[in-house]
Amino acid sequence: MLEQIEGSLGVAKAVALCRPGVVCAYPISPQTHIVENLGKFVKNGELKDCDFLNVESEFSAISVSIGSEVGGARTYTATASQGLLFMTEGIYSASGLGLPIVMTVASRAIGGPINIWNDHSDSLSQRDSGWLQLFCESNQDAVDTHIMAFKIAEKVGLPVMVCMDGFVLTHAFERLDIPSQETVDKFLKPYEPKEYLNTKEPVSIGAMVGPEAFTEVRLLQQRKMAKALDVIEEVTKEYRELTGSKSGGLLDCYNCENADLKLIILGSTVGTAKDEIDRLKAEGINVGIISLKSFRPFPYAAIKEAIGDTKQVICVERAFSFGARGIICPEVKRAVEGTSCDVKTVVAGLGGRPIFGTTINGIVKDALAGKFTEEFTFFDVNADVLNSYTQKHEGVTFNKGPINQSAIEKSVKA
Amino acid sequence: MMNKAFAVTLDPATSLQNHTGSWRTLRPVNVFKLPPCNNQCPAGENIQQWLFYAAEGDYEHAWRILTEENPLPACMGRVCYHTCEGKCNRGFLDESVGINSVERFLGDYAIEHNLAFKRPSKETGKKILVIGAGPAGLSAAYQLRRFGHSVHIVEAAKEAGGMMRYGIPTYRLPRNILDAEIKRITDMGVTIECGRKIEDIEAEKKNGKYDAVILGLGASVSAGADIPQGDTTHVLNALSVLGQIETTGEIEIARRVTVYGGGNTAVDVARSLRRIGAEPVIVYRRNREKMRANAEEMDAAIAEGIQVKWLSTISEASKDALKIEKMVLDENGKPQPTGQFEELPSDAVVLALGQNVDKTALSKLQNLQMEKDSVVVNNETMMTSIDGIFAAGDVATNDRTVTHAIGMGKNAARGVNAFLNGSTYKKPQKHDLAKFEDMHPWYYTDAPKTVRQELEVARRSNTFDEVQFGLTEENAIFEARRCLSCGNCMECDNCYGVCPDSAVVKLGPGKGYEFNYDYCKGCGVCAQECPCGHIKMVPEQI
Repeated sequence: MLEQIEGSLGVAKAVALCRPGVVCAYPISPQTHIVENLGKFVKNGELKDCDFLNVESEFSAISVSIGSEVGGARTYTATASQGLLFMTEGIYSASGLGLPIVMTVASRAIGGPINIWNDHSDSLSQRDSGWLQLFCESNQDAVDTHIMAFKIAEKVGLPVMVCMDGFVLTHAFERLDIPSQETVDKFLKPYEPKEYLNTKEPVSIGAMVGPEAFTEVRLLQQRKMAKALDVIEEVTKEYRELTGSKSGGLLDCYNCENADLKLIILGSTVGTAKDEIDRLKAEGINVGIISLKSFRPFPYAAIKEAIGDTKQVICVERAFSFGARGIICPEVKRAVEGTSCDVKTVVAGLGGRPIFGTTINGIVKDALAGKFTEEFTFFDVNADVLNSYTQKHEGVTFNKGPINQSAIEKSVKA
Repeated sequence: MMNKAFAVTLDPATSLQNHTGSWRTLRPVNVFKLPPCNNQCPAGENIQQWLFYAAEGDYEHAWRILTEENPLPACMGRVCYHTCEGKCNRGFLDESVGINSVERFLGDYAIEHNLAFKRPSKETGKKILVIGAGPAGLSAAYQLRRFGHSVHIVEAAKEAGGMMRYGIPTYRLPRNILDAEIKRITDMGVTIECGRKIEDIEAEKKNGKYDAVILGLGASVSAGADIPQGDTTHVLNALSVLGQIETTGEIEIARRVTVYGGGNTAVDVARSLRRIGAEPVIVYRRNREKMRANAEEMDAAIAEGIQVKWLSTISEASKDALKIEKMVLDENGKPQPTGQFEELPSDAVVLALGQNVDKTALSKLQNLQMEKDSVVVNNETMMTSIDGIFAAGDVATNDRTVTHAIGMGKNAARGVNAFLNGSTYKKPQKHDLAKFEDMHPWYYTDAPKTVRQELEVARRSNTFDEVQFGLTEENAIFEARRCLSCGNCMECDNCYGVCPDSAVVKLGPGKGYEFNYDYCKGCGVCAQECPCGHIKMVPEQI
């Protein structure tokens, strides 16, 4: 049914349609509205047979989630930013134990300095946690991805983070098509845990594993991730056939036929970029967008196929790795290794700095003009703000416009 | 069948292969600390242990543990000044446990249910003479009988009980209670011969073929005071007044009586006189703070309308008045005369200035070492300077309470028993004291002390009915359960519940727990969560 609602409410409705047995979370912006709405659904009886648990921290939230999942209940939680970091120990346990928890990460920059606005530093910090990480480009995508996430998690036997941009999506009101309960029930069967604690067949879950089998346990986790690539595609196909939705998948291509340049983007920036690409097309500039939906598992083969014979690829990244470079770019380079495709990182939109159509326009024009001479460039940096500090204290000034890695290194030597 | 995950999901008990005990650097051990009540009790009662059984509702078992140390719980539950309660760790939490009231409940329970002491399983054939059937003599006789010895008590007074009968008024200790507890001792085979004063102890020992003697003489002689008086003034001593009230039920005495002294006897006399219609006034040379009388008894006396003249001495007595001199306390707290006098109308004076032991028989014993008013004894064996002659109670101490007498009587019996076996009694070493700071009181719930009901003040001025009432069973069990079980296990299951390695093994009711050191990692949670401070972490020898 079509509704004009806030993204958080849409996600809460989607989660409720999946009939979770336990919802547990600790409030943190910008995730709060999602769990508040779920709490209301439990209280007013819209969501039946579900325990909504108030806890005192994110650490407890993930701990309760692990416990309820081990107890055999379909479990949902949500967090963001520092809350996600506070969960970290439990996050690794959940994936190591193969517990199909679904968790929303309403992506928000990590402090310090404290910052409540959107970027991807929180979700990407959990790159190696063993969770599936599915990014959403719109609220409709988020609604559908959450429903698919339960099925994917339970089929694969791993937990799933559904990453949606904080505020940009969570707090945006837009038209959403919420599937009916009947449809979701047809798609998602009642939860049948693969293993759980019960008195009839007692087991001990979460044993210590020493050097004799640890490598093998890890290999089996990696094997599940390999399986997940197929499961994501299957489940997406099934869901799309049932609902007519266009959400989900490993990645989504826009205007990729014969594009001179392709942008690889995670999350809500994709929507802005699509509009700008349409305008550029009118100018005769042909740019494709690869919306990367599944960051973990990383779809190397699908990326290679999506890039095709395009010679230039820019990864627009809303986080990076200190002391190294981009986070997405190296993965893409691996995907196209052995080809002549040129892959670079452009950092933009950190800590809530908006990525406008003009930002995308600038990236595209600079890329096509060959101005990105290095792998790693800060694109939307404001040299005036920077110089106001560096000039005064160190006598160093930066040129206006994008700043690349060598400019940073040179400024240190000078 | 579940689809079990590889390696991380295990069948039950498979993790027992991991002997995590090898990680340990500290090991928990059960320590038994001495509860402050036990430490304080002059009779050496195992208070915490008998409270444990009382709290379980097993009153007979509780009584049996109690009477291992003290054969007179119904009496002690009434007349003991219960200094144990002053040391009770529960006092740091809310109020001390009403130990004395539970003791009385158990004593009364035993009388009501005709509980008897067990006769000794075998007779040793040894004969012991006990002189005096007061608390020290009775306690010693009882303990000696438990060892299987034959015991004969010779008592100078008409009836057994000593100061419990001739000193303590019946409103504090009804005589049917005293009689019942004495009878229980004679039922074990102890013989008591009353109304005979032994003049020659050596001859008595020799002629009676006794293997040992215990001197249990009480302080039965009132101390005098030199008060100038006209020949008509009525001056009496406290013990004769109390003795006469005990034997005849009354005494002919004037209405306005002055009781001179500040100890428990003074209070007993004043309260007794009040009950036969007199208007007693206590005259004491120091102030209330310095008074030696038990505070609860003194409060009761004041409640009953007894007047006290503090900081006063009697300097002269005439026919119907006393000349009182006001005193002041100097910087050492000693009363000093002021030279200020006043007159106190009074028809009689009762001197309650302390009591002494009748030393006539003792002085005939050659080589008996004395110090002031007391016989010198070895404080472990209780033997006097004469081989085979022991002493207990008032005759051997200045701590002249019933409770001390019972404790000393018990120790003397142990000393005699060792002596008869050709050895020397050694007191076992005491455990370390259980301090409040060693405990984890978070687990104890609030529970205010049970207040004992008392006879209305209005009815106390004309009867010798018992003033303080006992606890009901419901109240007694509540009170017993208030015990914190300081330093000793109360089987609360905390350690068993909190151990993350299931390394605390439950041994069954009354048997406590043991640690399975194969799996105990030495985390110390059990020690931290044991309310009683019963678990100690000690370093492993690595």
